[in-house]
Amino acid sequence: MRDMIKLGLVLLIICAISAFILGVTNDYTQGIIQARAHEENVAAIKVLLPEAEEFELVEDANVTGVTDIVEVYQGTKNGEVVGYTVKSNPQGYGGRVDILIGISIDGIITGAKVGDNTETPGLGTKIADAAFINQFLDKATTNEFQVTKDPQRENDIETVTGATVSSEAVARGINRSTQLFEEVLKNR
Amino acid sequence: MKFGRIFSRGVIFDNPVFVQLLGMCPTLAVTNSAENALGMGLATTSVLIGSNLVISLVKKLIPSKIRIPSYIVIIATFVTIIGMLMKAFLPDLDRALGIFIPLIVVNCLILARAESFASKQSGLPSIIDGIGMGVGFTVALVILGSVRELFGAGTIFGVTILGSFYEPARVMTLAPGAFLALGLLLALFNKITSKELNEL
Repeated sequence: MRDMIKLGLVLLIICAISAFILGVTNDYTQGIIQARAHEENVAAIKVLLPEAEEFELVEDANVTGVTDIVEVYQGTKNGEVVGYTVKSNPQGYGGRVDILIGISIDGIITGAKVGDNTETPGLGTKIADAAFINQFLDKATTNEFQVTKDPQRENDIETVTGATVSSEAVARGINRSTQLFEEVLKNR
Repeated sequence: MKFGRIFSRGVIFDNPVFVQLLGMCPTLAVTNSAENALGMGLATTSVLIGSNLVISLVKKLIPSKIRIPSYIVIIATFVTIIGMLMKAFLPDLDRALGIFIPLIVVNCLILARAESFASKQSGLPSIIDGIGMGVGFTVALVILGSVRELFGAGTIFGVTILGSFYEPARVMTLAPGAFLALGLLLALFNKITSKELNEL
């Protein structure tokens, strides 16, 4: 019995020392890691909203709590808001699909990109191709986008053949993002 | 034991990969290019030196019944520190090596050195042993990585060696290539060392 307590105590001391050392190291590296992650994020979203020079995460409950919306960055230039980038993750065919779009302050989609997804390779993954995703570019956020095989109107988007569900997911993600812009972000 | 002897044992005569066949998981998994192999080798070496030193210093304080869990905690601490530092300062390498950095904890090479060397020796020889084994592991990984990169992509450390006349065999950078290259290198290493030993 005595032995057991002694063994436990020795292990406790070893673990405590190692926890302390790890805490100190984490304290030191955490800031650097976060700064780098932020930098990478900004580099990725800057492509979507080229006009902006600085980006800041929007932490508004009206924004972060919305269905399918992951995060919103506010892009500024010389202190003035020039637009937003919205990341959404609607349900696709094989899981959630990350979609990033940039919206200028006057309500035009300036960039659209499909991020991580688990759609069917060769079919659903074609939603990331420029031929499909670039259809959203330069369109007004007041549109309610619809995917169709035979696009006629301004808000029609041509479906990726054989990947209707994935195409619809992208449209839904973008619609949610533009809706968020129209209802909340524009009036901030 | 002389320090030079300890060192050369780690690098050649008891080479962790070619002779002891320890740490096969990272050896096979991350040697798809020379650069990844070097990164993995250096990360393992730093963990090995650190854990060898600490274990040799505290060996008298640890009751033998709980020595294995204690060693694992010490090793895991070093691995986590290296992992954090890599994430902060070498993010590209960290992304390339991914899950294999935390998995250094269960690299049996490190526990083997702790158990069979550091727990019986004093500080300085343990550091030398860590360096020797680490260098041996790194050299073996880099050789394996270079061979696979050379035949799989025609480059070594990203520098083109085989020109356009060579059609890269992609399989060499994939899992089967790891086994093929390791097997052939082992055969070659055995051939060379056996000859040397016979001459001695």
